[in-house]
Amino acid sequence: MVQCTNTKSRRNVILFLCLLLLFSSFAGILFGSVSLSPAEVIRTLLAGDIHSTAGILIRTVRIPRVLGGLFAGIGLACAGVILQGVMNNSLASPNTIGVNSGSGFAVMFAMMLFPANASVVPFFAFGGAFLTSLFVFLLAYLGDSSRTTIILAGITISSFFNAGMNAIKLIDSEISINLTSFMVGSLSGLTLTSLLLPCCCILAAFFLSLLLARSLNILGLGDDIAGSLGMRVPLTRLMLLLLASIMAGCVVSYAGLLSFIGLIVPHICRQLFGNDARFLLPCSALLGGSFVLLCDLAGRVLFAPFELPAGILMAFIGGPFFLYLLLKKKGGRRIHA
Amino acid sequence: MLEYRHVSVSCRRTPILKDVSLSFPTGKITTLIGPNGCGKTTLLQCLNGMSTVTSGKILLDGVDYLKLSPRERAQRLSFLPQVRTLIPSLPVKTLVEHGRFPYLGFSRKKTKSDADLVQAAMDFTNVNRYALQPVDTLSGGTRQRVFFAMTLAQDCNIIVLDEPTTYLDLESQRNFLDMLKELRRQGKTIILTLHDLNHAFRISDHIAVMKGSEILHFETPDQCLKSDIIEKVFHVKWKRFEDQDGAYYFFE
Repeated sequence: MVQCTNTKSRRNVILFLCLLLLFSSFAGILFGSVSLSPAEVIRTLLAGDIHSTAGILIRTVRIPRVLGGLFAGIGLACAGVILQGVMNNSLASPNTIGVNSGSGFAVMFAMMLFPANASVVPFFAFGGAFLTSLFVFLLAYLGDSSRTTIILAGITISSFFNAGMNAIKLIDSEISINLTSFMVGSLSGLTLTSLLLPCCCILAAFFLSLLLARSLNILGLGDDIAGSLGMRVPLTRLMLLLLASIMAGCVVSYAGLLSFIGLIVPHICRQLFGNDARFLLPCSALLGGSFVLLCDLAGRVLFAPFELPAGILMAFIGGPFFLYLLLKKKGGRRIHA
Repeated sequence: MLEYRHVSVSCRRTPILKDVSLSFPTGKITTLIGPNGCGKTTLLQCLNGMSTVTSGKILLDGVDYLKLSPRERAQRLSFLPQVRTLIPSLPVKTLVEHGRFPYLGFSRKKTKSDADLVQAAMDFTNVNRYALQPVDTLSGGTRQRVFFAMTLAQDCNIIVLDEPTTYLDLESQRNFLDMLKELRRQGKTIILTLHDLNHAFRISDHIAVMKGSEILHFETPDQCLKSDIIEKVFHVKWKRFEDQDGAYYFFE
């Protein structure tokens, strides 16, 4: 495993990730069912020309989509880093342990109860995510279950909630949601107003998690060492789970159950930076954002004029990667092993 | 001085520690010995919060230790738990820097004195040349020294070690005990558990013998050997040999 531990190569990789993110954001605005020329985009963005066709397209479709993808990547990747650290399990991620499904179920539930009020959705999404992650964590902690047991429990929880989501769709056929694209995760049809609240929450949770990065590192040394170093272990755990749930829940509230980002991205960053959460969190955020944007872009461009939801492409890439992790026997092991 | 007063610990109504009263003299090495499962680890773990004291008090220089916040405790007393199963793949230096965690402010910024203490701890334990190497690539003996360096970076006057020499080879054990003697010379109070009775008797100023959740005896090594407590608790006979380096003990 090649790890860049010295500061210079670290800085280079971070710089590269930043550029990648900028590039993918710009590409996300540029390409789509109607391709725009770079000159056109720059002119529209700089001049604030909002009445031309290109201006309307950029403002109402492309920018919300790029923002949505960006924050989905940040939220899920960081939630993945935190969950892996808190559970000390390299296979944990919002979607493998069922947090996404729990949140998705809560979203559907909110839509059934309050069909007219879309602003409650993010709160339900967060609540669902938090209760599920707390449940899985207690299962792991109290039951002293093995690493793979947690993943199996996660799969069980996922299918339980997926069944719940299907049930809600059948009971309430009026519900304004496209179940197929919600279950696989998609970034189409976003608006700036619907994104405002979730994105602010993700951003806030992201910065708070940076403050807790060192604590996350220390948690990885085991409860006894963390306690000896003067950390309030249960409190810190709870706060980290809370942050991960806010991030995962907010993403689910607008993008559905995007899979695998929370697993793949932290893994790649671990290979690059080792296990130091102070680098892992920001880098996973950068890479996660780029990854979602590129997947979404590919889904729009590859089969144009048809559009594949971002989630499908992610699953196509993520599934084999997950298998690769399992076969490498990295899976099921502690992250610190 | 660290003082246990009538401390009891029970877990699901099973007593693990029964009415322990004990003072650990300042600037000395005190070793807890006793058969497996007699409560040595529990007794120590009252100090890092991994065991909850059900009744009794622990006083540190007259202050109620258990009422201090975890952070304040970690600034006064450092604790190295038993053999690690979680070996982080962090660089050695990063791990040792974790020892400064109890002192970091909200901004989590390191100061010059933090850096100096980390460096001093790494020099003392002789792990400097591994500074950038991940801990999980090191041998067991070196790992233990790295964790010990982290404990020392906490810069506390009281150092508690739970079986620090288990799984170390003879030379590493001897080096480790030499470090403890040096720390005592610097005025630190050291509290540890050991299974090797010879080592315990050679380095300790005081020995606490535990059996069945209780402290049976608390004395200097010589007094301890004169009473027949060792024969009773461990069912062994002992012999003492002496040369210019001091006394050696054999237990059979």
